[in-house]
Amino acid sequence: MTKPIEVKNLTKTFRHPMKVWDRIEAVRDFSFSVEPGEIVGFVGHNGAGKTTTIKMLMGLIWPTSGKISIFGKKPGDVSIKNKIGFLPERPYFYSQLSGMDVLKYFGKLSGLKGTTLIDRAEKILRQVGLYNDRNRRLGGYSKGMLQRIGLAQAIIHNPELVIMDEPMSGLDPVGRREVKEIIRSLKRDGKSVIFSSHILSDIENLSDRVLIIENGFKKSFGTVREIVDPDNIRYKIEFGGKDEMKDAAFSLFKGIRVASDRFIIDCESLEDFNSKLSTIVEKKYTVHEAGGTYPSLEEIVFSVKKEVGNEKNS
Amino acid sequence: MKRILNVAYYTFLEMVRNKVLFILFFFALFIFGLGIVITQMTIGDNLTIISDVGLATIEIFLTVLSIFLGISLVQKELSQKTLYPLLARPVSRAEYILGKFFGMLLLVIVAIVIMSVIFTILLFFYGGAGRIIDFLPAIYAIFLQTSTIISVAVLCSTLTEPAVAATLTISFYIIGATSYNLVYAITKRTSETVTKIITTLRYVLPDFNHFNIKDNLVYGRGLENLSLGVASIYALIIVVIVLSLSIIFFNAKEIN
Repeated sequence: MTKPIEVKNLTKTFRHPMKVWDRIEAVRDFSFSVEPGEIVGFVGHNGAGKTTTIKMLMGLIWPTSGKISIFGKKPGDVSIKNKIGFLPERPYFYSQLSGMDVLKYFGKLSGLKGTTLIDRAEKILRQVGLYNDRNRRLGGYSKGMLQRIGLAQAIIHNPELVIMDEPMSGLDPVGRREVKEIIRSLKRDGKSVIFSSHILSDIENLSDRVLIIENGFKKSFGTVREIVDPDNIRYKIEFGGKDEMKDAAFSLFKGIRVASDRFIIDCESLEDFNSKLSTIVEKKYTVHEAGGTYPSLEEIVFSVKKEVGNEKNS
Repeated sequence: MKRILNVAYYTFLEMVRNKVLFILFFFALFIFGLGIVITQMTIGDNLTIISDVGLATIEIFLTVLSIFLGISLVQKELSQKTLYPLLARPVSRAEYILGKFFGMLLLVIVAIVIMSVIFTILLFFYGGAGRIIDFLPAIYAIFLQTSTIISVAVLCSTLTEPAVAATLTISFYIIGATSYNLVYAITKRTSETVTKIITTLRYVLPDFNHFNIKDNLVYGRGLENLSLGVASIYALIIVVIVLSLSIIFFNAKEIN
């Protein structure tokens, strides 16, 4: 089966706005792919290269080097466009058209017609919570409503791949929850989804794999667990024992903490964890909980940022 | 073709609801009103004067309309990013450009119908409603001229921002409207070599004299043989060349 997206050694440079001969590297030599039915989240700070990558996937701008394949074809190829839905960052639509007009327009361009188009448009409008405002002109829509109509037009034609740039931007908590549910339902229907977001918990909750981009570089790509450096896993042991054993516990390890009737000890590495666990078992303490905890995506992205910052300073 | 018509229809719908259009209509009504005042102040055949003013108003209105709305056709979509989701659909960039052009043309046709109805009412009050039939070729020629202006506005809109696009399109109109008389005046007073250069240049510069049928009709000189055919072919050549250039430039453009 053809992969929805395959990107190899993608690089994009732009002409410097002030110095004509200089080039700015927006995306630097990175590769990734998206499998059918997979949700991939793009993470990175402003200007990291997320939107540039998305624009290249959509065929709006062209790579300086490297190869992009969307369902086996070049981006922008008209024959595959019906398989793709796209929500740009901060979408604006024709202010004089109503929500229903916009869906009819984009639906017709995607080959939908008649009652199929109307039924589908009404269903999607209900899904994004705009059914009651369907006949209002978009000039009167709020930012959140425009975001919703943007999402609606992206999925009106039931695409196999949906690419969304900041789909949760401008939405209130209820709206964000609804959009997340739509993304989940797309996955349930076997669609592939790419979305970028600054809200790391959203990326972590929704994505099967995460692409971390920093300064145009692909810093990591994989599941949250895969992209964690084993050295960053925090190992912890929680144990307890009889009252007479408690004082002895403090002399066993440095940095021991007490919570309720338990002792908690953090370990520096897997070896440290194994050694401390053996000692605890040997001394006949009761082990309540022992194991490694993965850092959150926020902590990973923050550590990547620090790393890039250090690279810049050195 | 269906996709071009879809883009055209929604381009028309978006523009027809635009407030600018209503402002322009009021402007046109004002000029018609001015025509009535002029007939009261001028010695001569009132019907001829009102016919002249009426046809001139239609031409001015359509020119202003096509420049004002045409220059932002593509550029506005670029700056407001409405183009992004549209180009994500199975629509080629060429189809998009053609759709925009035909959408604008549709608006012009509707505007011509409305203006012609107002013009007929005006002629009726001066006892010459039937003359509208005589003026139809002139209105058609104005439509042809307007279509060339729209194509240039679309080209400029794909290349540059609205202010520059407006300047370029207005320049095209001014050159088109004056080139015939200008070339005639210059060649009367210069050497043979300069005359040859200027005459050659005339074939390159737009010449709206091909569309100037209204003077003959208003002053009863009648329609010259083949003049409408020549005007149609001339407009078609300009539109095809300019739209082809628009498509070439737009295909090479990164939508950033």
